[in-house]
Amino acid sequence: MKETPLSNCEKRFLLRAIEERKRLDGRQSYDYRNVRVSFGTDYGCCVVELGKTRVLGQVSCELVAPKPNRATEGILFFNLELSPMASPAFELGRQSELLVKLNRLLERCLRNSKCIDTESLCVVAGEKVWQIRVDLHLLNHDGNIIDAASIAAIVALCHFRRPDISVQGEEITVYTPEERDPVPLSIHHMPICVSFAFFKQGTYLLVDPSEREERVMDGLLVIAMNKHHEICTIQSSGGIMLLKDQVLRCSKITGVKVAEITELIQKALENDRKVRKEGGKCGFAESIPNQKITAFKMERAPVDANDVEEQAEEIIMKADPPLDVFAKPILWTPGTAQIGEGVENSWGELEESERGEEEDDDNDPDTLEDPKMEMEDVSIVSKTKKDDTIVLSDSEEEEVVILKPEKVPKKTRTPTSSKQENSSKKVSNKKRKKKRVSY
Amino acid sequence: MGSEPEPGCALRPFAVEQGLLSRPDGSAAFVQGDTSVLAGVYGPAEVRSSRESPERAALDVLLRPKVGLPGVLERSREQMVRRACEAALLGELHPRSSVTLVLQVVSDAGSLLSCCLNAACLALLDAGLPLRSLFCGVTCALAPDGAVALDPSARQEKEARAVLTFAFESTEKRLLLSTTRGACSAKEVEYVRDVHGTSV
Amino acid sequence: MAAGFKTVEPLEYYRRFLKENCRPDGRELGEFRATTVNIGSITTADGSALVKLGNTTVICGIKAEFAAPPVDATNKGYIVPDVDLPPLCSARFRPGPPGEEAQAVSQFIADVIENSQIIMKEDLCIVNGKLAWVLYCDIICLDYDGNILDACTFALLAALNNVQLPAVAINEETGLAEVNLKQKTPLNIRKYPVATSFAIFDDTLLIVDPTAEEEDLATGTVTIVTDEEGRLCSVHKPGGSPLTGAKLQDCITRAITRHKEVKQLMDKI
Repeated sequence: MKETPLSNCEKRFLLRAIEERKRLDGRQSYDYRNVRVSFGTDYGCCVVELGKTRVLGQVSCELVAPKPNRATEGILFFNLELSPMASPAFELGRQSELLVKLNRLLERCLRNSKCIDTESLCVVAGEKVWQIRVDLHLLNHDGNIIDAASIAAIVALCHFRRPDISVQGEEITVYTPEERDPVPLSIHHMPICVSFAFFKQGTYLLVDPSEREERVMDGLLVIAMNKHHEICTIQSSGGIMLLKDQVLRCSKITGVKVAEITELIQKALENDRKVRKEGGKCGFAESIPNQKITAFKMERAPVDANDVEEQAEEIIMKADPPLDVFAKPILWTPGTAQIGEGVENSWGELEESERGEEEDDDNDPDTLEDPKMEMEDVSIVSKTKKDDTIVLSDSEEEEVVILKPEKVPKKTRTPTSSKQENSSKKVSNKKRKKKRVSY
Repeated sequence: MGSEPEPGCALRPFAVEQGLLSRPDGSAAFVQGDTSVLAGVYGPAEVRSSRESPERAALDVLLRPKVGLPGVLERSREQMVRRACEAALLGELHPRSSVTLVLQVVSDAGSLLSCCLNAACLALLDAGLPLRSLFCGVTCALAPDGAVALDPSARQEKEARAVLTFAFESTEKRLLLSTTRGACSAKEVEYVRDVHGTSV
Repeated sequence: MAAGFKTVEPLEYYRRFLKENCRPDGRELGEFRATTVNIGSITTADGSALVKLGNTTVICGIKAEFAAPPVDATNKGYIVPDVDLPPLCSARFRPGPPGEEAQAVSQFIADVIENSQIIMKEDLCIVNGKLAWVLYCDIICLDYDGNILDACTFALLAALNNVQLPAVAINEETGLAEVNLKQKTPLNIRKYPVATSFAIFDDTLLIVDPTAEEEDLATGTVTIVTDEEGRLCSVHKPGGSPLTGAKLQDCITRAITRHKEVKQLMDKI
């Protein structure tokens, strides 16, 4: 499915609004949309909503061999997926330019900034390290994917707990959550991306562009920063020239936004930790609002199962008992058998020739023809016994001769074999007839 | 209903929210205990020429696992959910168009397939697509001692002798889909077939 | 004349037949096509079988190899089924990676193996934690004319029944496995799962062993797998038109009868 294109009118309207310093959703130029973070019951699972843009993050871990050039470091792996759910334009399994760009940016923001202590993920140097895998799924696309994804990734990493392990000699023991509390990752700082959209060759600037705004923008600047005002990544795309002042102004705005978001993330994490400690309810069911017409909740629903057994009994009683009469299997030769005399397959010759070959593996090609013939005849006799004789017309007989030309010279060999030959024709004719009927 | 329901013969708390995503034509989140699935529907929309049918709308179902890429299990579940939805969807009303249903596993803690079916039904409903009937999915686990546990958690599923998933349509409560894991007797199937929850 | 009618109104054409309790190929509604099985069809495989169900032809070859047992279950071996529906068996399949149908059938076969416990995986272990058998069960369809599930299940069962594994001894000195090809033993088949498929016509009529044509026209399919004790290993109904409980019970009854037929056939060869 293709994305519905933006009409010229809509484009003009959006740009005019931006010139007048107005945004469609009522925000000011420097306003960020609301960020909402919710956690799943599993560790390392979160959903981040940035306005209507929604990203699901899940962190998982695995023990693997380290990379040979970094024997003492764990491996971090990021994978952002643009699910077709997020927008009809996203196709499954296609590495679009956008996807590659976003994944690369995410890696630079989170892996190259060394925010995760990869050395603490080493179990046995050169042999076993933890591989931390971050899966991000875009669920709804309403602009600014990278900011939402970077928040989701860092929140999921902060929330994640890996199983505790112990190393004794060569033996590595992995403890289940029941045996030992899982341990959190060691995270040095939290880099967060903030996007700026530029319009009219950089004259106008908007923070956190929505999907509509992204479609009419000229250029995009993404700055990844942590709360200590350290820039981790900076990327400008779209081919616009930015002035030094503009970049500096953007980095100042980024500093403010990152401080706000970091505080929110920490509050959310703290809140979740408290709820879990108290054994309260957590998970996505809690994030569904109570008072909303589109939402519905039901507590543990008991099901009446009193008369079920009787009902089941009744159905079984009513049904006919299994039949005892069944078709007798026919054994063609040891190794080949058949049941049912229903419909012959239209190339029934196969069994015969196959059996011939099986039994006469050692025969040389000259004599191979003969036993094959005999085999065929045996089955024919059994078949003709079952069926009534079939009257053949001359034309059909000719057809058969054409079908098996290699057998024609043998007709003259002995009177008996020619007789059998005849019956073989009958059968193959019968088969052809059937074929004609069924098609 | 008895004052003390049998242990196991009850569904875990469930919750749904419809229309929570802005981009898809219909969406629904279905939470059953700790299992959660998000569904989004696009359609009726433009169809790829290879999938176009003059008879009915072409339905595509995509099941996205949370970690990694979809495998054989996901493909076979996609096929099951697709056929169940096809039976319920009045696709004849939208020939030469496509309906795409995307299911995203948000968390798996048992009874995943039935949760997928429920989310799918509610998303189709939210998209305003004409349906023949509603449908719902129920999973039950047969413990080694023969006790039936409805809507089992992941742990119950693991310990069970057999796990059965059924889907029923709402008009005459007939069987729409069934898949089983583990061996059981015919009577047990009939038993659990009759125990099924109400659609939302 | 009839051919023209069939081309224009295939469903109506079928309905006319079904009304008279028969099918265009001359079968009754509850009748299977002729089932032919040949075992040991592939001499290079450790076990093999060719099954024909009418025109549907499926070949199953089993290759046994050594592998280290899984870390979490050191006393088990592996069974790896794979179903291939190549373009040669029907025009509906395209070359390339396995399509949805092939993957769904593979998953079904894997489920049947898992559910029925046809072979205990413990039987495939040679030395606990060190060595185990892997059975690669490759099923290839040669001619696709419907009811692929029944044919595949039967081919798998017949091929497993045909497997002869050589005796393996561990050399004390070298610690290596030594294979004695002279001494071969068959596998211990615990259960005999047999699949029976039905197509649902017009929401009410059930026909056994549908051909490809019937499958395309039908509104749904049901496959029931039973073992020799009449226990259900799988009730597989991937969507399609809804069924009542009584109808499903009829299917189960028919499946039990079919199992007896197939079991007799298995015993005979």
